Amino acid sequence: MARIRKRLFFFDWPLFLAVAAIVVLGVLNLYSATSASGGSRSDIYIQQIYWLTLGAGLGTLAVAIDYRHIERNAWVAYVGGLVLLVLVFLVGRQVRGSQRWIPIGSFYLQPSEIMKLVLIVALAKFLHHDPKIEGRALKDLVAPGMILAVPMALILAQPDLGTAVVCALIFGTIMLLTHLKLRALFTLAAAFILSAPLTWTYLLKDYQRGRILSFIDPNTDVLAEGWHTHQSLIAIGSGGFWGKGFKLGTQNQHHFLPDQHTDFPFPVWAEEQGLLGACLLIGLYMFVVLWGLKIAAQAKDRFGAVTAVGVSALVFWQVIINLGMVMGLLPVVGVTLPLFSYGGSSVIAIMVGLGLLLNVSIRRFSF
Amino acid sequence: MVLFSPRRDLGEFRKRYKWMGLFAALLFAVILTRLIQLQVWDAEHFRTLAHQNITQTQTLPASRGLIVDTERRLIAGNEPAYDLLVTPSLLGAPGVQERLVALLNLDKAGADLLQSRIDALPVYRRNHQVLALRNIKRDQLAAVEAHRSELPGVEVRAVAVRHYPFGSLGGHAIGYLNEVSKAEIASQPDTYRLGDLGGRFGVERMLEAELRGARGFRSQLVDARGRILDELVVARSRGALPATQLNHRPPAPGADVQLTLDMELMRVIRKLVSPYPAASIAVVEAQTGMVRALYSKPSYDLNEITGFMSQDSYDALIKNPHRPLIDRTLYETYFPGSTFKPVTALAALADGLVDPKAPIHCGGYHELGNRRFRCTHVHGDVDMQQALGQSCNVYFYKLAEIIGVDRLAHYARAMGFGEPTGIGLDNEASGFIATREWYEKRYKRPYRSGFTLNAAIGQGNTRASVLQIAMAYAALSNGGNLLRPSLVERITSHDGEPIFTFTPTVRQRLPISHAHLETMLEGLRLTVADRSGTAFDPKRKDAVSAGGKTGTAQVTGLGGRSEDDPLAWFFRRSHAWFAGFAPFNNPEFVVVVLVEHGGSGGRTAAPIGLEILNYATKKRAAARLAGGAPDGSHS
Repeated sequence: MARIRKRLFFFDWPLFLAVAAIVVLGVLNLYSATSASGGSRSDIYIQQIYWLTLGAGLGTLAVAIDYRHIERNAWVAYVGGLVLLVLVFLVGRQVRGSQRWIPIGSFYLQPSEIMKLVLIVALAKFLHHDPKIEGRALKDLVAPGMILAVPMALILAQPDLGTAVVCALIFGTIMLLTHLKLRALFTLAAAFILSAPLTWTYLLKDYQRGRILSFIDPNTDVLAEGWHTHQSLIAIGSGGFWGKGFKLGTQNQHHFLPDQHTDFPFPVWAEEQGLLGACLLIGLYMFVVLWGLKIAAQAKDRFGAVTAVGVSALVFWQVIINLGMVMGLLPVVGVTLPLFSYGGSSVIAIMVGLGLLLNVSIRRFSF
Repeated sequence: MVLFSPRRDLGEFRKRYKWMGLFAALLFAVILTRLIQLQVWDAEHFRTLAHQNITQTQTLPASRGLIVDTERRLIAGNEPAYDLLVTPSLLGAPGVQERLVALLNLDKAGADLLQSRIDALPVYRRNHQVLALRNIKRDQLAAVEAHRSELPGVEVRAVAVRHYPFGSLGGHAIGYLNEVSKAEIASQPDTYRLGDLGGRFGVERMLEAELRGARGFRSQLVDARGRILDELVVARSRGALPATQLNHRPPAPGADVQLTLDMELMRVIRKLVSPYPAASIAVVEAQTGMVRALYSKPSYDLNEITGFMSQDSYDALIKNPHRPLIDRTLYETYFPGSTFKPVTALAALADGLVDPKAPIHCGGYHELGNRRFRCTHVHGDVDMQQALGQSCNVYFYKLAEIIGVDRLAHYARAMGFGEPTGIGLDNEASGFIATREWYEKRYKRPYRSGFTLNAAIGQGNTRASVLQIAMAYAALSNGGNLLRPSLVERITSHDGEPIFTFTPTVRQRLPISHAHLETMLEGLRLTVADRSGTAFDPKRKDAVSAGGKTGTAQVTGLGGRSEDDPLAWFFRRSHAWFAGFAPFNNPEFVVVVLVEHGGSGGRTAAPIGLEILNYATKKRAAARLAGGAPDGSHS
């Protein structure tokens, strides 16, 4: 009992409340985003509440277990994640030209969302057992690089560019946490720049190239790719300072926003709640990210620190890419806004990830 | 103990968190800056775009006012037709546009036109309807209606097209409609939009402002696919919209116009000139200036030329050697020839330069220096009235030497020559009356009185339009009032309010005494009534008393045509003129007849003119018997 009371004392209320606030605003926003569709999607916010509840349950589990147990089973989780990614190709369902989902009853599991989290844990496990004081050379990056490369290749093959990019960014953030030798850094940067044309020609699909082209020059094909961004900007901009009011966003209600409930929930929010509401939401995300870094800094061991940085990076990059995309700063890639976008796999992965973050936070003084 | 702390190996990470936090804060700052840019600095711009997105303004066209003649026969009306509208965002589904093109049975040009109309719409308005094809045919309409469910975003709208029951009759005076130019839209952006029709030439142009009315509009709320949203949604969304921007204005129909033209008389005229390829006739009320007929031949079918004319029809008009596009009543000018002689006579009388009873000898020609100015034949001794009746040139050559060119010009201007009549139609010609100063400037040498001789018989450099001559003769016959001609008798707003009712306007009084007018007019009576008069017809019995003047105007050059033109012989023939009025003692009607290349005025133009006068006066008399003069006439 005393232990539990001690845990409750260390419980990270600021992080918990910030996440709870995002969850509540997210559900309200989904309710508005789908209310326009007249029936077909109007129960989506209810489903989201189911996922959030399930996610909260799994997240509580992730808080409750001592994360050293997780560290011990990290490779099992990693292999499990890879198996799911392979399964996608065997029993997966094709939607809009890409194969990302495994049907389980009426639910579609998206393993790439789970994989982001598993990747963090696997990298944390690797670095936990690979402490280096004198700095890492290029050859020291081969092993963690492989940990990234296998799932990333599978995700790119689906194809799911957005998730692959997020995985790469999480990996990059985690590796920058370690002490890289300058030479290694420069070599990596040079390799990245040199590989860009090859990636463009061989790795990217036509529609992905189109999105990037229409981002560079919005006039190329406004109807197809740039159209979404254009309408998104109108939604955000027309919201103005005060917003149009809950469920009164015309861009949203009149279906000018594409995928309001998945990729474009932020324009709905910004249109209806204005600059004030948008700043509140961005402030909450920023708090979660910086708080996560603080948790990492105070973590007791390398696994905890890397996990905390990884989860923060996951939230950070998804938020930045999604907002950058809907504000016309980045090309349109399918990256969801954590806890705001509809999607079971994403919600569960994020909730479990935040659970791990809380776990690391609570156990910063224990052992 | 510290050495064995689990935190020992965390040293590798230690310095990084601060930089990561800073980097994260920096990217969030970029996002926030962008957010402020969008939601504060550019908010107004995006609000406008958002509003444009969801409102579709449906134009409610105004019906154009009717044009009727003096006896209320319909001259220009509106008939139902069908326009094809498309909503490009709905048409985007694969194959829909191809299907539409196939159903409409469009050729390459038609398909291109459709595409260009769709492409003309800016991308952000692609969920708005655009006029794709105007006035589709019945079988096209049937095809679209039958396959309605396969053609999302295609709509047929019932509209009105201008219809002219009289076809080509009076085409130049009535005018027609075609698409307004970009310049017109730019100068009147509130009135015109791309694709609008506007009046061209004639009354349609002159009274464009009155006839066109004002379009109405209705704003509707639409969604991204161009579907019109039901009232419930509209009501819900209204809270987020500026209240004034969802409104509805009914169209204001144009005013109805009653013209002074008598289309029955026009028909009679058409029949009378049927043997001749090109002619021009004006019939004017002598006392009021109301224009009863304004006929220019050849003409064009207004129903064919209005709206969109096929290239073939247009080419045919351009290639016609008699130039149907030229309005011969008031745009084209001619040598008035002998119809001008009353001006010369009055100039001499008014300034007391000649005794009208004093005979002058005509030996068939008049010599000036080493030049001979010819007459039609040897008239012997003629006084002024005989000279007018028999159209003796020598008499007027001699008067010209006495009068001088500037005095002649002064009196010609007093009778309205050299300036537009003010009927109000576009492109009205001024004609030309030369002065001594002009001759000296033009020929750069001392003035020669030969110019005056030619001017005195309506040749040389004298140019006048048919309508100008008609108004001059109206002034001569009505006691000296130079009137402004009018085609418009009455304009009535759609709900019956009178906007304009004709009243005669006197432009000026002739500076000539009544006695002098009487003296001159007697000469005009002799033209018709005297056995030796140029318009005398022994078979003309039981006809109204009339006065008039014939003219046979020589043609100089071929009007730009080649000598090898197979019609060159025709275009070298003289123009035949007749200008007259009736009844002689109480003139009601003035007629001017020009038969292009008709040869002798007396033989070709005068019978037509007299027949018109006969018809018009008899009809007026019959109307008077039947119970009062016809609507609007002043008798």
